[in-house]
Amino acid sequence: MSQQRKALWDVDEDLQDVDLSLAIGNYGQNGIYDEAEPRIDEATLLAVQQQMVQQAAFAQIPDVVKRFIVHFHHAVLENNLAEITAAYESGWNRLTEKFYSKTEWPEAEVIAPLVNDDQIFLILYRELYYRHVYSRLQPDIDDRFHSYENSCELFNYLLNSDGPVPLELPEQWLWDIIDEFIYQYQSFCVWRSKAKSKTDEELILLADASQVWSSYSVLNVLYSLIQKSKINEHLVALQEGKSAEEIAEIVGEYGVRPLYRMLGYFSVVGLLRVHSLLGDFTLALKVMENVELNQKSPFTRVTACHVTTYYYVGFCYIMLRRYPDAIRAFVSILNFILRMRQYHTRSYQYDQINKTADRMYALFAICNALSPTRLDDNISNIVKERYGEQFTKMSRGEEGIPAFEELFLYACPKFISANPPPYEDPELRAAYIEEPPVEPAQRHLGLFLSEVRAQAPVPTLRSFLKLYTSLDAKKLANFLDADEEKMVQQMMVMKQASRSVSRVENEKGLLDGQMISTCDLDFVIDENMVHIAESTVGRRYAGWFIRNTEHAQRVFDGIRNSPLPAPPKAAPVANVSTDSAAPAASGPRPGGPRVAWGSVKAA
Amino acid sequence: MPSVASTWASPPTRTPLIENLVSGVDRYNPNNVGILEDYLYHQIRSEEYDCLANLAILKLYQFNPDLYNADVVINILIKALTSAPFPDFNLCISLLDERPVNTNPDEPDPLPSLLPTLTTLHNLLQQCRFPAFWAMYRSDEVESLRDNYTVECVGFENSVRDVVIRAVKAAFTRISSERLGTYLDLAEDDLAAYVQKISWSIDPSTGIVSVPRNPDNHIESTVVQENIQLSQLTKVVAHAAQTV
Repeated sequence: MSQQRKALWDVDEDLQDVDLSLAIGNYGQNGIYDEAEPRIDEATLLAVQQQMVQQAAFAQIPDVVKRFIVHFHHAVLENNLAEITAAYESGWNRLTEKFYSKTEWPEAEVIAPLVNDDQIFLILYRELYYRHVYSRLQPDIDDRFHSYENSCELFNYLLNSDGPVPLELPEQWLWDIIDEFIYQYQSFCVWRSKAKSKTDEELILLADASQVWSSYSVLNVLYSLIQKSKINEHLVALQEGKSAEEIAEIVGEYGVRPLYRMLGYFSVVGLLRVHSLLGDFTLALKVMENVELNQKSPFTRVTACHVTTYYYVGFCYIMLRRYPDAIRAFVSILNFILRMRQYHTRSYQYDQINKTADRMYALFAICNALSPTRLDDNISNIVKERYGEQFTKMSRGEEGIPAFEELFLYACPKFISANPPPYEDPELRAAYIEEPPVEPAQRHLGLFLSEVRAQAPVPTLRSFLKLYTSLDAKKLANFLDADEEKMVQQMMVMKQASRSVSRVENEKGLLDGQMISTCDLDFVIDENMVHIAESTVGRRYAGWFIRNTEHAQRVFDGIRNSPLPAPPKAAPVANVSTDSAAPAASGPRPGGPRVAWGSVKAA
Repeated sequence: MPSVASTWASPPTRTPLIENLVSGVDRYNPNNVGILEDYLYHQIRSEEYDCLANLAILKLYQFNPDLYNADVVINILIKALTSAPFPDFNLCISLLDERPVNTNPDEPDPLPSLLPTLTTLHNLLQQCRFPAFWAMYRSDEVESLRDNYTVECVGFENSVRDVVIRAVKAAFTRISSERLGTYLDLAEDDLAAYVQKISWSIDPSTGIVSVPRNPDNHIESTVVQENIQLSQLTKVVAHAAQTV
């Protein structure tokens, strides 16, 4: 390598100072050298120039980065998952912080000599390269087009080689590949929809390239991975309790390999996400029909995937007006995240997960305002802390609409339109810029708010009914200062708002469910009399007793297992055993019994 | 008995051919749009309803704007209208992406002018404002929708009445026949016949209609007691057993 570098310096002493891209650009345009040296054809010269640029760029790569890339390449060649994971999760991020926090990593062509021009590794390298550009820098149109091409090459290699490829990658990386693929698609669609701020060059490229990041091409990749891996058949077989051998038989040569199996599973979740972004909430849940939502599935090891799944499932349920199901999804995953918190050290995911969690708290507040339920205390306390103000407003009907709007826009997915603005037709494009269509998020917001408005009178009605066991409809209408007939119609709305389709007994498929009552206050109208009934839930003691019994047992074990003290040091030993028990015990202990009961709710 | 949701997600009237399109990847093939559109017109004629199949049409339109057929979209929305209080109507609207400006002045797109009407009708049903729904539906303003579309949709008015019945059945044990009449847009003999058809009874002297008992109009105050499962106690019991 140093030999080559030396030669380069000999050729052009000033290489470092010259703006090389500019030089190449000028050359192509004014053609001065063409006349001067007609025998050297343009292409060769360009190639030489380009090589020189690359060599110069190569020279600038810090040695530690070169060593890292060589090492990374070896780990991938040997399918050494532990080493790949280390390079992927810590090495890459550490070097990014140190050298590339504000610039691109070296281009794949530049580092190619380090990895013997290994095309597969270079594709993977580009995958990381572009992801870094998207997350830390501003991708330009070339980045967007090239990252698409690179994704296509990667999936082409995985799907269209002769048989399954012998590559192995950590599950986290496989998830990130699918996740990033959809993110870049979504990012492209949003960027593309802003027709106003495009340069002429961008306009030409966009007019030509209707296939780049098209919805069909993205769906095609996801469905192909699902079919190749036979992941749906795999999931069904797992549910039927088939043995490992039977499953291997069913899923075939691709599906038995972890790489394809996980990509298949992640693609199912990817479909859930793509369909949600496009506003097809029914189909989003339908593609998940073979996935069982629980925390024990072997596919939940990648936390980010798990969190994404619940976020989109919960959101789709909101749009299907199945608030109890949405609430269940959010409670389940938010508790999971709270429990995970103490173990989470991989910070680059942690931020993202926290952001998604915060949006789910907002969605939870929305659901709970629309369908008040007995809450999970842990989660509802956090919601009160973060969105207490909005929640109070949302529980008041019509006047809470701005609060619904605010939280919905904050917490909803980044909706996209399936089709580009008419770039190929300047006239239509001008019309499009003149009168831009409503943004997708605003469209979905409008639909959601129409649901909210329909049940706006419910909170007020409910607060009145809570005070009576029966009353005359006319009297109720007087209280509300409303026309009796109008009030009766609102009562029917209230009845409908307190019923919902919901999954109650582990129905197969996320779309299935039964009609349930969601409200503890119920009523019926007998001609002109309103009768009201309220269900109450007796205080729950068991959880508290069980937790504290278990705790007492642990303390007891702790004391029993400590060595017997020597007589004069009796006092300190007692301290030691309480110390070990202190963190858990400190909750219920202070204060009298009233406080202890109070904390049952909060625990 | 199949649940509400499973009947909705896969109605018994759906043929295997359609099932294959709705559940498989063939749903993305633009060549299949004709089959699904024919199925929609079959639903219109035979008082059937298959929301997911209709959403599949809208999905194809979403991805292939060239396929767009305004009449089909309007018929889908009319079908979805009467599934209130379920959110089908909004689910359909969700898939109607922004349409490019209509370039053909000879064949104006009827959807932009009808969509606000349909949306208002939907909101009225959603808010159980049934008398207002009928008043609007019968008004001159809605004439073109009636004459060109709902007239073709067999049993449209009766399916609106189904929406009413669902709402009334859940909220009332007894209801005066005047009130029910305004909700159903039926009077006297027609109303009596309708009430009889759905096996409700009408008291001839008072004109009060009794609504049969069902899970939603039968209410009682309950106290839910906590129910402890043995499995919750496994740890405690196991530990106690070890210690002894």
